[in-house]
Amino acid sequence: MTSTVDDDGPAAGPPGAAPAPSTPTSPTPPPGIVVRGLRRSFGSVRALDGVDLQARAGAVTALVGPNGSGKTTLLLVLAGLLVPDSGDVRIGGFDPVTDGRAARARTGWMPDTFGTWDSLTSREVLLTFAAAYRIPPAQARTRVDELLATVHLTEFADRPASVLSRGQKQRLGLARALVHSPDVLLLDEPASGLDPRSRVDLRVLLRRLADEGRTVLVSSHVLSELEEMADDAVFLSRGRTVSSSVESDGPAPRTWHLRALALDAATAWLTSVGVTWRPDDDGDLLAPPAATPGGVLFELADDATAARLLRDAVTAGVPVLSFAPATGLLEQAYLALDEERT
Amino acid sequence: MTRMDPVELELPPAPEPARLPVGRGGTWGLTWHGVRTVAVLDLRQRVRSTRWIVALVVWFVVVGGITLLTTGALEAFSAQDRPNTGPILFSAVTALVLGLGLLVTPTLSSTAVNGDRNAGTLATLQVTLLSPAEIATGKLLAAWSAACAFLVTSLPFLVLALALGGTPGWAIVRVVLLVALLLLAVCGIGLGFSALVARTAGSTVLAFITVAAITVFTPILFGLTFTTTTSQEQVTVWGMQDGWADGDDPGPCEVFTAERSVSHTERTWWLLGINPFVVVADGAGTGPLSVHGDGSPLSAMRDGVRMLRAGPPPALDECWTGTAAPAELQDDLRQDLSTAPVWPWGLGANLLLGAAGFVVAVRRLRIPQRTLARGTRVA
Repeated sequence: MTSTVDDDGPAAGPPGAAPAPSTPTSPTPPPGIVVRGLRRSFGSVRALDGVDLQARAGAVTALVGPNGSGKTTLLLVLAGLLVPDSGDVRIGGFDPVTDGRAARARTGWMPDTFGTWDSLTSREVLLTFAAAYRIPPAQARTRVDELLATVHLTEFADRPASVLSRGQKQRLGLARALVHSPDVLLLDEPASGLDPRSRVDLRVLLRRLADEGRTVLVSSHVLSELEEMADDAVFLSRGRTVSSSVESDGPAPRTWHLRALALDAATAWLTSVGVTWRPDDDGDLLAPPAATPGGVLFELADDATAARLLRDAVTAGVPVLSFAPATGLLEQAYLALDEERT
Repeated sequence: MTRMDPVELELPPAPEPARLPVGRGGTWGLTWHGVRTVAVLDLRQRVRSTRWIVALVVWFVVVGGITLLTTGALEAFSAQDRPNTGPILFSAVTALVLGLGLLVTPTLSSTAVNGDRNAGTLATLQVTLLSPAEIATGKLLAAWSAACAFLVTSLPFLVLALALGGTPGWAIVRVVLLVALLLLAVCGIGLGFSALVARTAGSTVLAFITVAAITVFTPILFGLTFTTTTSQEQVTVWGMQDGWADGDDPGPCEVFTAERSVSHTERTWWLLGINPFVVVADGAGTGPLSVHGDGSPLSAMRDGVRMLRAGPPPALDECWTGTAAPAELQDDLRQDLSTAPVWPWGLGANLLLGAAGFVVAVRRLRIPQRTLARGTRVA
């Protein structure tokens, strides 16, 4: 129903799209995911109301948006589970609606909530999916061993999935999505339930997968996490893409947080250089700054201003303990969306 | 973590040709590999739960207990003069196994699709290269294998009944095959409902109602329609036209035409024909066709249905004085048994219902989905 243009139909057979990422013909890898004008309603609820996005191959793209903004629906359409009402989707050049199998063969999808077969062991779960993707058994066994090592589940490989903790199940789900070495990865809240160590591992893993030339689309609420690993960001709000890049508007004003050993000295200096400050969350709004450790928040135009301000403050003898952005860029953009929500 | 990099570089050329016979398939594409993957997955899930072992043990004990009790009761009643303990026991065990099978089997498949959907495991399977037909067939196969496990558990008791004599040996083969195929049909029905209904409780109830409709409601419906097939008709009668006269002389029997109530069961016999018990009784081949029965309840049931299928004889014999009817009327007076087997129709009807359920399941498993059932999530 979406594309009448079926130009990639003939390529549905075994195309020469050999190894994973880059097609040998084009010097720059083609975009892994292209979405144009995507709409999907459930009854009267418009879950997706005009989504446009491009996720580059070889990059991690963050999908950010408040609850109910259509992230999961978008990922379901991309995974080939839902037919969009209108709009155009290409996964590695294939339309998930008209060319479902070809698109699915290249897609690894990790849903936000999923179950495991409780009486199967982790290894059996992965072997089952390898078989479902038609990977020859011998090759599947090596692949599964690698993946179990990658997600640090080797010691749980032969225990039933029911004994796994939530985070371990999450890691098993990630391994499952990777079992067929997909070119395009769709991850819905992959970090939820993960301990800090696993989060770092996830970040490194996704980074590496992207560096191999794969397309990685991650939705998450842990914005600081996303900010560290994402190259691009797409913002969804009420089923619409609001903005598809963090840097598109140039350097944005940002809130900075400064902690000093003596707060009164810091605030006095800030006032003298003309910065409008306000106490941070720990501070007392009414009491004047004392000669005790404390922090303040203020807005700065860009990073260069921040660097200059820190140098000047240290030179002026302000006992600075720490100086850092109060919020991430993603978080700031997200909060801006949040204001729109009302 | 970094250990994987070289492998990533080496492997892709190998997996690509293996995984890219992708254009093949579509909704109805079917490979043994895919079916086996799903069936093994489902069976592993089942077999490893302890409930499964308990269910089989309970089944064995119940069937065994009832068989032994029946044997004891038959011995006590029949003494020496009735040689048909074997056929009666064989019929009883067959009916028991079929009845319990019809009770247990709907639960084996009626949560196959919606249960997985609720557990969040279905969508992850759907996005793989398995076709909807492979997923449905695998689940059907798994449910059927489980049903057949119950059947196999009851085999010793069928063999025991056979050993008591009076039943031809191949009857056990025919009974087991017919019961297995009927259970396959029930599995298909359950699978269809599991794909159609969002809640597992709802699909299980619907599967049970359907099985009950086939098993219990069909005889009831046959009984209820009996009056509509019965009408007053002019028929040829061999008997005393004036009835018993006041005098002692009964008078001679003669051929005349009179109005009688006639039941045309040849129009409604199929209501009984689709009943699984009738299917098994008709196909069991426990003895030759006979109006008088051969002592086997299975044969008696078959002969009864065949009689209903043949319908009323063209002429009625009301001559109770024992006078032999004229030779040209003999054939018309005899109650016929239909020689055409009933079981192919009944089995066919059941399998058709099962196939319908299977087709519904496959169609419901297709992705991407256009519509979603109310209140369900895809994943």
